[in-house]
Amino acid sequence: MVVRIRLARFGKRHQPIYNIVVANARTARNSKPLEVLGTYDPIPKQSASGEGRKYKDIKVDISRAKYWLGVGAQPSDPAWRLMAMLGLIEPKYRPGGMQQGREMHEQPIHVQESVQDRAHVAQA
Amino acid sequence: MYAWLNGPGQVFHDPLPNSTNYLSAYDKAGRLIRAQDANEKSRSKAEQDKEEAENEEDPDAQEASSEEADAARLRREARRQEQESKGDGNKVSSESMEDLRPFPQNTQFMSQPVLSVELRDEIFRRVKDGGLDVRTVSAQLGVAIERVGAVVRLKTIEEEWIKQGKKRATPYQTAILSMLPTTPFDATSPISTSSTRSRAPTLAHEPINDLPVHPATRPQLFVPVSESRVFTRTDAAAAFSASLLPAHARIPHPQLVHAERYRASGMTDREVRERVEEDEREREEREREREVRRREDEARRMRVVQGRRWDFRFEDVRVEDVGRDGLSERGVGWRYGAPHDDRKRGKVKIPTRVG
Repeated sequence: MVVRIRLARFGKRHQPIYNIVVANARTARNSKPLEVLGTYDPIPKQSASGEGRKYKDIKVDISRAKYWLGVGAQPSDPAWRLMAMLGLIEPKYRPGGMQQGREMHEQPIHVQESVQDRAHVAQA
Repeated sequence: MYAWLNGPGQVFHDPLPNSTNYLSAYDKAGRLIRAQDANEKSRSKAEQDKEEAENEEDPDAQEASSEEADAARLRREARRQEQESKGDGNKVSSESMEDLRPFPQNTQFMSQPVLSVELRDEIFRRVKDGGLDVRTVSAQLGVAIERVGAVVRLKTIEEEWIKQGKKRATPYQTAILSMLPTTPFDATSPISTSSTRSRAPTLAHEPINDLPVHPATRPQLFVPVSESRVFTRTDAAAAFSASLLPAHARIPHPQLVHAERYRASGMTDREVRERVEEDEREREEREREREVRRREDEARRMRVVQGRRWDFRFEDVRVEDVGRDGLSERGVGWRYGAPHDDRKRGKVKIPTRVG
Protein backbone atom coordinates (compact mmCIF):
# COMPACT_ATOMS: atom_id res chain seq x y z
CA MET A 1 0.00 0.00 0.00
CA VAL A 2 1.24 3.48 -0.83
CA VAL A 3 2.44 5.62 2.02
CA ARG A 4 1.33 9.18 1.59
CA ILE A 5 2.18 12.50 3.19
CA ARG A 6 -1.13 14.28 3.40
CA LEU A 7 -3.21 16.66 5.47
CA ALA A 8 -5.79 15.59 8.06
CA ARG A 9 -8.37 18.19 8.87
CA PHE A 10 -9.05 18.86 12.53
CA GLY A 11 -10.29 21.87 14.43
CA LYS A 12 -13.79 23.25 14.43
CA ARG A 13 -16.20 24.64 11.92
CA HIS A 14 -14.57 27.60 10.15
CA GLN A 15 -11.45 27.04 12.24
CA PRO A 16 -9.61 24.29 10.41
CA ILE A 17 -6.20 23.14 11.50
CA TYR A 18 -4.45 20.45 9.57
CA ASN A 19 -2.11 17.76 10.77
CA ILE A 20 0.61 16.96 8.26
CA VAL A 21 0.65 13.20 8.55
CA VAL A 22 2.31 10.16 7.09
CA ALA A 23 -0.36 7.52 6.58
CA ASN A 24 -1.27 4.57 4.43
CA ALA A 25 -3.15 5.88 1.41
CA ARG A 26 -6.30 3.82 1.93
CA THR A 27 -6.93 4.70 5.54
CA ALA A 28 -9.54 7.28 6.49
CA ARG A 29 -8.57 10.93 6.51
CA ASN A 30 -8.56 11.45 10.27
CA SER A 31 -7.55 7.96 11.28
CA LYS A 32 -4.48 7.43 13.38
CA PRO A 33 -1.51 7.93 11.06
CA LEU A 34 1.90 6.34 11.01
CA GLU A 35 3.40 9.60 12.16
CA VAL A 36 2.37 13.23 12.66
CA LEU A 37 4.99 15.37 10.92
CA GLY A 38 3.52 18.68 11.96
CA THR A 39 0.60 21.06 11.56
CA TYR A 40 -0.61 23.53 8.96
CA ASP A 41 -2.79 26.45 9.96
CA PRO A 42 -4.47 27.66 6.76
CA ILE A 43 -5.87 30.87 8.24
CA PRO A 44 -3.51 33.80 7.61
CA LYS A 45 -2.60 35.69 10.74
CA GLN A 46 -1.66 39.31 11.21
CA SER A 47 1.46 39.91 13.26
CA ALA A 48 0.93 41.18 16.81
CA SER A 49 1.94 44.72 15.88
CA GLY A 50 -0.78 44.77 13.22
CA GLU A 51 1.74 45.71 10.57
CA GLY A 52 3.59 43.87 7.86
CA ARG A 53 2.48 40.98 5.72
CA LYS A 54 0.15 38.32 6.96
CA TYR A 55 1.56 34.88 7.56
CA LYS A 56 0.51 31.27 7.87
CA ASP A 57 1.95 29.13 10.59
CA ILE A 58 3.36 25.76 9.63
CA LYS A 59 5.16 23.43 11.99
CA VAL A 60 6.93 20.49 10.50
CA ASP A 61 9.74 18.12 11.44
CA ILE A 62 11.94 18.66 8.41
CA SER A 63 14.34 15.79 9.03
CA ARG A 64 11.47 13.31 9.39
CA ALA A 65 9.82 14.72 6.26
CA LYS A 66 13.07 14.19 4.37
CA TYR A 67 13.25 10.64 5.64
CA TRP A 68 9.71 9.77 4.56
CA LEU A 69 10.25 11.33 1.12
CA GLY A 70 13.47 9.37 0.87
CA VAL A 71 11.75 6.07 1.51
CA GLY A 72 9.10 6.78 -1.09
CA ALA A 73 6.20 8.45 0.64
CA GLN A 74 4.07 10.31 -1.89
CA PRO A 75 2.87 13.77 -0.90
CA SER A 76 -0.67 14.76 -1.81
CA ASP A 77 -0.96 17.99 -3.83
CA PRO A 78 -1.31 20.35 -0.84
CA ALA A 79 1.41 18.49 1.03
CA TRP A 80 3.58 18.63 -2.11
CA ARG A 81 3.20 22.38 -2.13
CA LEU A 82 4.42 22.66 1.47
CA MET A 83 7.30 20.25 0.96
CA ALA A 84 8.31 22.16 -2.17
CA MET A 85 8.37 25.41 -0.22
CA LEU A 86 10.87 23.83 2.14
CA GLY A 87 12.97 22.85 -0.85
CA LEU A 88 12.59 19.14 -0.18
CA ILE A 89 11.10 18.46 -3.63
CA GLU A 90 10.60 20.32 -6.89
CA PRO A 91 7.38 22.34 -7.00
CA LYS A 92 4.56 20.84 -9.07
CA TYR A 93 2.71 24.04 -9.66
CA ARG A 94 4.44 27.39 -9.95
CA PRO A 95 2.99 30.38 -8.12
CA GLY A 96 2.49 32.23 -11.40
CA GLY A 97 0.67 29.24 -12.94
CA MET A 98 1.01 28.62 -16.70
CA GLN A 99 4.78 28.55 -17.00
CA GLN A 100 5.23 25.41 -14.94
CA GLY A 101 5.51 23.01 -17.88
CA ARG A 102 8.25 24.90 -19.68
CA GLU A 103 10.37 25.47 -16.59
CA MET A 104 10.01 21.94 -15.46
CA HIS A 105 11.25 20.73 -18.82
CA GLU A 106 14.20 23.09 -18.73
CA GLN A 107 15.29 22.03 -15.29
CA PRO A 108 15.69 18.35 -14.65
CA ILE A 109 13.68 17.52 -11.60
CA HIS A 110 15.87 15.17 -9.70
CA VAL A 111 14.16 14.86 -6.39
CA GLN A 112 10.67 14.63 -7.79
CA GLU A 113 11.64 11.94 -10.27
CA SER A 114 13.59 9.98 -7.79
CA VAL A 115 10.70 10.12 -5.34
CA GLN A 116 8.24 9.01 -7.97
CA ASP A 117 10.54 6.31 -9.25
CA ARG A 118 10.91 4.92 -5.79
CA ALA A 119 7.18 5.06 -5.33
CA HIS A 120 6.72 3.08 -8.53
CA VAL A 121 9.20 0.57 -7.31
CA ALA A 122 7.37 0.36 -4.04
CA GLN A 123 4.05 -0.09 -5.83
CA ALA A 124 5.49 -2.73 -8.10
CA MET B 1 -33.43 75.95 45.86
CA TYR B 2 -33.56 79.67 45.12
CA ALA B 3 -32.60 80.38 48.70
CA TRP B 4 -29.39 78.46 48.11
CA LEU B 5 -28.81 79.91 44.65
CA ASN B 6 -29.12 83.45 45.93
CA GLY B 7 -27.38 82.69 49.21
CA PRO B 8 -24.44 80.35 49.68
CA GLY B 9 -24.56 79.20 46.06
CA GLN B 10 -23.93 82.71 44.79
CA VAL B 11 -20.17 82.15 44.86
CA PHE B 12 -20.41 79.52 42.15
CA HIS B 13 -21.88 82.04 39.73
CA ASP B 14 -18.40 83.51 39.37
CA PRO B 15 -16.16 80.57 40.20
CA LEU B 16 -12.79 81.19 41.74
CA PRO B 17 -10.13 80.97 39.02
CA ASN B 18 -7.42 78.31 39.33
CA SER B 19 -9.34 76.38 41.93
CA THR B 20 -11.31 73.15 41.95
CA ASN B 21 -14.35 75.04 43.34
CA TYR B 22 -15.68 71.97 45.09
CA LEU B 23 -18.69 72.34 47.36
CA SER B 24 -16.77 71.17 50.39
CA ALA B 25 -14.31 74.06 50.17
CA TYR B 26 -17.08 76.45 51.25
CA ASP B 27 -18.94 76.61 54.54
CA LYS B 28 -22.71 76.77 54.90
CA ALA B 29 -22.77 80.51 54.53
CA GLY B 30 -20.90 80.28 51.22
CA ARG B 31 -17.55 81.52 52.50
CA LEU B 32 -14.30 79.99 51.36
CA ILE B 33 -13.01 78.07 54.37
CA ARG B 34 -9.34 78.29 53.51
CA ALA B 35 -9.57 82.05 52.95
CA GLN B 36 -10.82 82.46 56.52
CA ASP B 37 -7.98 80.30 57.79
CA ALA B 38 -5.51 82.38 55.81
CA ASN B 39 -6.86 85.55 57.44
CA GLU B 40 -6.32 84.06 60.83
CA LYS B 41 -2.84 83.02 59.92
CA SER B 42 -1.91 86.34 58.38
CA ARG B 43 -1.80 87.81 61.87
CA SER B 44 1.15 85.57 62.70
CA LYS B 45 2.65 85.87 59.25
CA ALA B 46 5.38 88.22 60.31
CA GLU B 47 6.74 85.55 62.62
CA GLN B 48 6.63 82.97 59.82
CA ASP B 49 8.63 85.19 57.51
CA LYS B 50 11.27 85.50 60.17
CA GLU B 51 11.46 81.71 60.43
CA GLU B 52 11.83 81.30 56.70
CA ALA B 53 14.64 83.77 56.62
CA GLU B 54 16.41 81.82 59.32
CA ASN B 55 15.97 78.59 57.39
CA GLU B 56 17.48 80.06 54.30
CA GLU B 57 20.44 81.33 56.25
CA ASP B 58 21.79 77.93 57.29
CA PRO B 59 21.93 75.61 54.29
CA ASP B 60 23.52 72.79 56.33
CA ALA B 61 20.34 72.27 58.24
CA GLN B 62 18.40 72.19 54.98
CA GLU B 63 20.60 69.57 53.43
CA ALA B 64 19.69 67.01 56.04
CA SER B 65 16.05 67.20 55.15
CA SER B 66 16.40 68.52 51.62
CA GLU B 67 13.29 66.73 50.42
CA GLU B 68 11.02 68.30 52.99
CA ALA B 69 12.63 71.66 52.38
CA ASP B 70 12.10 71.20 48.68
CA ALA B 71 8.47 70.38 49.16
CA ALA B 72 7.99 73.34 51.43
CA ARG B 73 9.72 75.64 48.96
CA LEU B 74 7.56 74.40 46.10
CA ARG B 75 4.44 74.96 48.11
CA ARG B 76 5.60 78.44 49.10
CA GLU B 77 6.34 79.32 45.52
CA ALA B 78 3.01 78.07 44.30
CA ARG B 79 1.30 80.10 46.97
CA ARG B 80 3.33 83.18 46.10
CA GLN B 81 2.51 82.84 42.43
CA GLU B 82 -1.15 82.50 43.21
CA GLN B 83 -1.07 85.55 45.39
CA GLU B 84 0.77 87.54 42.78
CA SER B 85 -1.75 86.63 40.14
CA LYS B 86 -4.61 87.76 42.29
CA GLY B 87 -3.02 90.83 43.67
CA ASP B 88 -2.63 91.44 47.36
CA GLY B 89 -6.24 92.36 47.97
CA ASN B 90 -7.64 88.84 48.18
CA LYS B 91 -5.09 86.38 49.46
CA VAL B 92 -6.18 82.77 49.06
CA SER B 93 -3.88 79.91 49.92
CA SER B 94 -3.63 76.85 47.67
CA GLU B 95 -6.01 73.99 48.24
CA SER B 96 -5.44 71.71 51.16
CA MET B 97 -6.51 68.08 51.23
CA GLU B 98 -9.91 69.02 52.67
CA ASP B 99 -10.64 71.20 49.67
CA LEU B 100 -10.05 68.37 47.21
CA ARG B 101 -13.15 66.40 48.06
CA PRO B 102 -15.66 66.68 45.24
CA PHE B 103 -18.29 64.72 47.18
CA PRO B 104 -18.94 66.23 50.63
CA GLN B 105 -20.50 63.01 51.98
CA ASN B 106 -17.60 60.85 50.83
CA THR B 107 -14.65 61.97 52.88
CA GLN B 108 -12.44 59.16 51.58
CA PHE B 109 -12.49 60.35 47.98
CA MET B 110 -9.87 62.91 47.05
CA SER B 111 -9.28 64.52 43.70
CA GLN B 112 -5.95 63.19 42.45
CA PRO B 113 -3.60 65.68 40.82
CA VAL B 114 -2.84 65.49 37.09
CA LEU B 115 0.46 66.26 35.39
CA SER B 116 1.10 69.92 34.79
CA VAL B 117 2.11 71.03 31.31
CA GLU B 118 5.67 71.76 32.47
CA LEU B 119 6.07 68.30 33.99
CA ARG B 120 4.75 66.65 30.83
CA ASP B 121 7.15 68.66 28.69
CA GLU B 122 10.02 67.77 31.02
CA ILE B 123 9.20 64.04 30.80
CA PHE B 124 9.18 64.18 27.02
CA ARG B 125 12.36 66.27 26.90
CA ARG B 126 14.26 63.79 29.09
CA VAL B 127 13.14 60.78 27.08
CA LYS B 128 13.55 62.29 23.63
CA ASP B 129 16.44 64.74 23.94
CA GLY B 130 18.10 63.30 27.03
CA GLY B 131 17.93 59.77 25.69
CA LEU B 132 16.95 58.40 29.10
CA ASP B 133 14.83 55.30 29.33
CA VAL B 134 11.30 55.39 30.64
CA ARG B 135 12.17 53.64 33.89
CA THR B 136 14.86 56.18 34.84
CA VAL B 137 12.65 59.16 34.04
CA SER B 138 9.88 57.57 36.07
CA ALA B 139 12.20 57.26 39.08
CA GLN B 140 13.56 60.76 38.65
CA LEU B 141 10.24 62.54 38.47
CA GLY B 142 8.06 60.32 40.64
CA VAL B 143 5.66 59.44 37.84
CA ALA B 144 4.55 55.87 37.22
CA ILE B 145 6.24 54.04 34.34
CA GLU B 146 2.97 53.54 32.48
CA ARG B 147 2.17 57.23 32.75
CA VAL B 148 5.62 58.23 31.47
CA GLY B 149 5.09 55.89 28.50
CA ALA B 150 1.68 57.41 27.83
CA VAL B 151 3.08 60.94 28.00
CA VAL B 152 5.82 60.07 25.52
CA ARG B 153 3.36 58.48 23.08
CA LEU B 154 0.90 61.34 23.26
CA LYS B 155 3.56 64.02 23.01
CA THR B 156 4.93 62.27 19.92
CA ILE B 157 1.50 62.44 18.35
CA GLU B 158 1.22 66.09 19.38
CA GLU B 159 4.53 66.88 17.68
CA GLU B 160 3.31 65.19 14.52
CA TRP B 161 0.13 67.21 14.62
CA ILE B 162 2.07 70.42 15.01
CA LYS B 163 4.15 69.41 12.00
CA GLN B 164 1.00 68.73 9.99
CA GLY B 165 -0.42 72.07 11.07
CA LYS B 166 -3.38 70.56 12.88
CA LYS B 167 -5.21 72.73 15.35
CA ARG B 168 -4.82 71.84 19.00
CA ALA B 169 -7.37 72.33 21.77
CA THR B 170 -5.09 74.46 23.93
CA PRO B 171 -7.88 76.64 25.42
CA TYR B 172 -9.65 73.46 26.46
CA GLN B 173 -6.49 72.18 28.12
CA THR B 174 -5.96 75.47 29.94
CA ALA B 175 -9.55 75.51 31.16
CA ILE B 176 -9.46 71.92 32.39
CA LEU B 177 -6.07 72.25 34.06
CA SER B 178 -7.18 75.42 35.85
CA MET B 179 -9.94 73.41 37.52
CA LEU B 180 -7.84 70.41 38.51
CA PRO B 181 -5.10 70.00 41.07
CA THR B 182 -1.81 69.60 39.21
CA THR B 183 1.67 68.36 40.07
CA PRO B 184 4.12 71.20 39.44
CA PHE B 185 7.64 70.76 38.15
CA ASP B 186 10.56 72.57 39.70
CA ALA B 187 13.69 72.51 37.54
CA THR B 188 15.92 73.90 40.29
CA SER B 189 15.34 71.04 42.69
CA PRO B 190 18.41 68.76 42.89
CA ILE B 191 16.22 65.77 43.61
CA SER B 192 14.56 66.08 40.21
CA THR B 193 17.69 64.73 38.55
CA SER B 194 18.54 61.87 40.91
CA SER B 195 17.43 58.48 39.71
CA THR B 196 18.67 56.68 42.81
CA ARG B 197 16.64 58.54 45.36
CA SER B 198 12.88 58.43 45.16
CA ARG B 199 11.22 61.78 45.45
CA ALA B 200 9.53 62.77 48.66
CA PRO B 201 5.85 61.85 48.71
CA THR B 202 5.00 65.53 48.67
CA LEU B 203 6.95 66.05 45.44
CA ALA B 204 6.15 62.83 43.62
CA HIS B 205 3.16 62.72 41.35
CA GLU B 206 2.13 59.31 42.65
CA PRO B 207 3.60 56.31 44.41
CA ILE B 208 5.77 54.67 41.75
CA ASN B 209 7.01 51.52 43.39
CA ASP B 210 3.74 49.79 44.24
CA LEU B 211 3.65 46.04 43.88
CA PRO B 212 1.15 45.13 41.18
CA VAL B 213 -1.31 42.42 42.24
CA HIS B 214 -0.51 39.33 40.24
CA PRO B 215 -3.54 37.10 39.53
CA ALA B 216 -1.61 34.11 40.86
CA THR B 217 -1.45 35.72 44.31
CA ARG B 218 -5.19 36.28 44.61
CA PRO B 219 -6.30 32.95 46.12
CA GLN B 220 -5.94 32.57 49.86
CA LEU B 221 -3.22 30.09 50.58
CA PHE B 222 -2.35 28.16 53.73
CA VAL B 223 1.16 26.76 53.55
CA PRO B 224 2.33 24.83 56.60
CA VAL B 225 5.93 25.73 57.31
CA SER B 226 8.10 24.48 60.13
CA GLU B 227 9.11 27.10 62.64
CA SER B 228 12.77 26.48 62.10
CA ARG B 229 12.56 27.30 58.41
CA VAL B 230 13.30 30.77 57.08
CA PHE B 231 10.35 31.59 54.85
CA THR B 232 11.33 34.35 52.43
CA ARG B 233 9.49 36.29 49.76
CA THR B 234 10.95 33.91 47.20
CA ASP B 235 9.40 30.96 49.03
CA ALA B 236 6.09 32.79 49.21
CA ALA B 237 6.14 33.41 45.45
CA ALA B 238 7.01 29.77 44.79
CA ALA B 239 4.10 28.73 47.01
CA PHE B 240 1.69 30.70 44.83
CA SER B 241 3.06 29.65 41.49
CA ALA B 242 6.23 27.93 40.31
CA SER B 243 6.94 30.62 37.74
CA LEU B 244 6.05 33.63 39.89
CA LEU B 245 8.89 36.01 40.69
CA PRO B 246 9.29 37.17 44.29
CA ALA B 247 7.73 40.49 45.26
CA HIS B 248 11.03 42.38 45.34
CA ALA B 249 11.67 41.43 41.72
CA ARG B 250 8.18 42.36 40.53
CA ILE B 251 8.13 45.97 41.74
CA PRO B 252 8.64 48.55 38.98
CA HIS B 253 11.80 50.08 40.50
CA PRO B 254 13.90 47.50 42.32
CA GLN B 255 16.94 49.74 41.80
CA LEU B 256 15.54 52.25 44.31
CA VAL B 257 15.55 49.54 46.98
CA HIS B 258 19.11 48.59 46.06
CA ALA B 259 20.14 52.24 46.25
CA GLU B 260 18.69 52.56 49.74
CA ARG B 261 20.55 49.42 50.74
CA TYR B 262 23.83 50.76 49.40
CA ARG B 263 23.21 54.03 51.17
CA ALA B 264 22.53 52.24 54.44
CA SER B 265 25.85 50.41 54.07
CA GLY B 266 27.62 53.76 54.24
CA MET B 267 28.20 54.67 50.60
CA THR B 268 28.11 58.28 49.53
CA ASP B 269 25.46 59.53 47.11
CA ARG B 270 27.94 59.54 44.26
CA GLU B 271 29.05 55.96 44.90
CA VAL B 272 25.46 54.85 45.15
CA ARG B 273 24.65 56.44 41.84
CA GLU B 274 27.63 54.84 40.11
CA ARG B 275 26.86 51.45 41.61
CA VAL B 276 23.19 51.60 40.61
CA GLU B 277 24.09 52.69 37.10
CA GLU B 278 26.49 49.80 36.84
CA ASP B 279 23.79 47.41 38.01
CA GLU B 280 21.42 48.83 35.40
CA ARG B 281 24.03 48.42 32.67
CA GLU B 282 24.57 44.80 33.66
CA ARG B 283 20.85 44.15 33.67
CA GLU B 284 20.44 45.70 30.24
CA GLU B 285 23.39 43.68 28.94
CA ARG B 286 21.85 40.47 30.27
CA GLU B 287 18.53 41.29 28.67
CA ARG B 288 20.18 42.10 25.37
CA GLU B 289 22.07 38.82 25.40
CA ARG B 290 18.90 36.90 26.15
CA GLU B 291 17.14 38.66 23.27
CA VAL B 292 20.02 37.88 20.89
CA ARG B 293 19.96 34.24 21.95
CA ARG B 294 16.21 34.10 21.44
CA ARG B 295 16.53 35.58 17.97
CA GLU B 296 19.32 33.20 17.01
CA ASP B 297 17.30 30.26 18.25
CA GLU B 298 14.29 31.45 16.29
CA ALA B 299 16.36 32.02 13.14
CA ARG B 300 17.68 28.49 13.45
CA ARG B 301 14.21 27.00 13.70
CA MET B 302 12.18 29.35 11.52
CA ARG B 303 12.15 29.58 7.75
CA VAL B 304 9.98 32.10 5.99
CA VAL B 305 8.85 31.52 2.42
CA GLN B 306 7.30 34.49 0.68
CA GLY B 307 4.02 33.76 -0.98
CA ARG B 308 2.02 35.99 -3.24
CA ARG B 309 -0.42 37.17 -0.62
CA TRP B 310 1.13 36.06 2.65
CA ASP B 311 4.25 34.53 4.06
CA PHE B 312 4.55 30.92 5.08
CA ARG B 313 6.43 30.53 8.34
CA PHE B 314 7.89 27.09 8.74
CA GLU B 315 8.96 26.09 12.21
CA ASP B 316 11.15 23.05 12.56
CA VAL B 317 9.77 20.83 15.32
CA ARG B 318 10.57 17.40 16.64
CA VAL B 319 8.24 14.49 16.10
CA GLU B 320 9.55 12.77 19.23
CA ASP B 321 8.14 15.52 21.45
CA VAL B 322 4.74 13.81 21.58
CA GLY B 323 6.26 11.14 23.80
CA ARG B 324 5.94 7.39 23.63
CA ASP B 325 2.16 7.35 24.01
CA GLY B 326 1.73 10.23 21.56
CA LEU B 327 -0.32 12.21 24.08
CA SER B 328 2.22 14.65 25.51
CA GLU B 329 1.12 18.26 25.36
CA ARG B 330 4.58 19.32 24.23
CA GLY B 331 4.08 17.51 20.96
CA VAL B 332 2.81 19.08 17.80
CA GLY B 333 -0.53 18.44 16.17
CA TRP B 334 -3.74 16.71 17.00
CA ARG B 335 -3.32 14.23 19.82
CA TYR B 336 -5.15 11.14 18.71
CA GLY B 337 -7.30 9.62 21.42
CA ALA B 338 -6.96 12.54 23.82
CA PRO B 339 -10.24 14.28 24.63
CA HIS B 340 -10.80 17.91 23.71
CA ASP B 341 -9.78 20.18 26.52
CA ASP B 342 -13.28 21.63 26.69
CA ARG B 343 -14.85 18.16 26.88
CA LYS B 344 -13.08 17.32 30.10
CA ARG B 345 -14.99 17.00 33.34
CA GLY B 346 -15.28 20.18 35.33
CA LYS B 347 -14.32 22.54 32.49
CA VAL B 348 -16.42 25.69 32.45
CA LYS B 349 -17.34 26.49 28.87
CA ILE B 350 -18.96 29.84 29.55
CA PRO B 351 -16.32 32.56 29.29
CA THR B 352 -15.48 33.73 32.79
CA ARG B 353 -13.46 36.74 31.79
CA VAL B 354 -13.17 39.12 28.88
CA GLY B 355 -10.02 39.62 26.83
